[in-house]
Amino acid sequence: MGLSVSDRGKAVATFRYVHVELMETLAQWTPTCPEMEVKLMLGEHIWDAAQNADALGKRTRELRLPLQHSLKPVDAYVTLLEEIRQEPDTCRRLSGLYDAILPGLDARYHAYFEQTDALLDGPTVRILEQVRNTSARMIKQSRELRAELPAVGNVDHGWIETLKQRDSRIPTLVS
Amino acid sequence: MQALSAADTTVIRGITVRRGPAREACFTVVEENSKLSFNADPDFEKGKDMSEGMRRNRIHTHMHNEMQNLEIAAQTLVDFPDTSWELRMELARQCWDESRHSAVLLRRLQEMGGHKGEFPVMHYEWNITCMQDSLAARLAIQNRTFEGGEMDILKVHVQLWRDAGDEATAALLEGILSDEIHHVRFANVWLKRLAKDDPRILLKVLTGISFMKWVSTVFAPTPEDVNASGARVADTVHPNPTNVEDRRLAEFTDQEIGELLRQDGFGHIVPRPG
Repeated sequence: MGLSVSDRGKAVATFRYVHVELMETLAQWTPTCPEMEVKLMLGEHIWDAAQNADALGKRTRELRLPLQHSLKPVDAYVTLLEEIRQEPDTCRRLSGLYDAILPGLDARYHAYFEQTDALLDGPTVRILEQVRNTSARMIKQSRELRAELPAVGNVDHGWIETLKQRDSRIPTLVS
Repeated sequence: MQALSAADTTVIRGITVRRGPAREACFTVVEENSKLSFNADPDFEKGKDMSEGMRRNRIHTHMHNEMQNLEIAAQTLVDFPDTSWELRMELARQCWDESRHSAVLLRRLQEMGGHKGEFPVMHYEWNITCMQDSLAARLAIQNRTFEGGEMDILKVHVQLWRDAGDEATAALLEGILSDEIHHVRFANVWLKRLAKDDPRILLKVLTGISFMKWVSTVFAPTPEDVNASGARVADTVHPNPTNVEDRRLAEFTDQEIGELLRQDGFGHIVPRPG
């Protein structure tokens, strides 16, 4: 049967909130990460996250919500994002975002595709496909950078697994 | 914007400014022009030393400035979360542009045999701009003034590198200049919009510009100051005439361009109003 217009609007507005939050997180880390090459990668990804948010925000208007409308996700997810945003260590920042949060979001886009009518909700599907492609590139770039600069590539695997588990225990982002 | 804490600021020559962004240990950050290491080889025209070391120094300084511009745009996104989405998109795009500029300059530096951290650097623009608690003042200082000035410098430097036979670097700087025009333009457009919506922001802009001028005066080297390379600081700089064509593209008015030309000593060619 697919999702209602209201359900789709809420999901899109919630994804938009997440991408604005990611943009701000990346922006906050840019002056506070010492490593030059990391800063330069974050600068590119700020723009990627902004474009994702912008595309989602244009779609909210088409789904009976205001233009560039955001909805705050469930508290557990907001807390997760906030904890990663406040993380001071570059290695943890990079692994937390690129190894846990972005792959977790990808799984949520996939779940959305399974629930929605891809024909009726084609514009959202197209936007999320683009977001997935962008996220895949961001993850790839971060892995290449960490391979190039081993000093920022140390991953605390236990911590990442904990983050992933916390993320996967949140059934939906929509509050 | 949240009020700055004591940990966010530092004091340089008696003036409280925003504490510099994080840097790798390879960078030597200095607080005064006289601690930089520009050469002034007398074989070259004043301020236009293009010896091998100075070529790398110029690229290194520019690379670091572009990274600092990225950091300023990023910090502004963080400090003003409630500003219009359209303007936030401009700042986000600027972040990518400045990242690319810094990355291509790092690549060029490495092609020349140089490396990051090879020369001392300053946080002058960050120190001043990120001290401002209004977005309009930041746009006026960073985009309209500092980047506007960079447009003038880049036009001279494109020719400097071309005259030195380095077409690759000249072409690279031309590409950067093209992007910078838009950063200045969107600031000009938004300053007008913001002032129209709330004329009180003009006071913030004026306060910010006064602060910038005060810091610049206090930080300015004396004519006899000698830098870390043993060169008189005054001999390491050259005039950068107003880049009229690009300032027009960046939506400076004829009146504003006329005022800049007068400051350059070309007042006699500026048409009188009326």
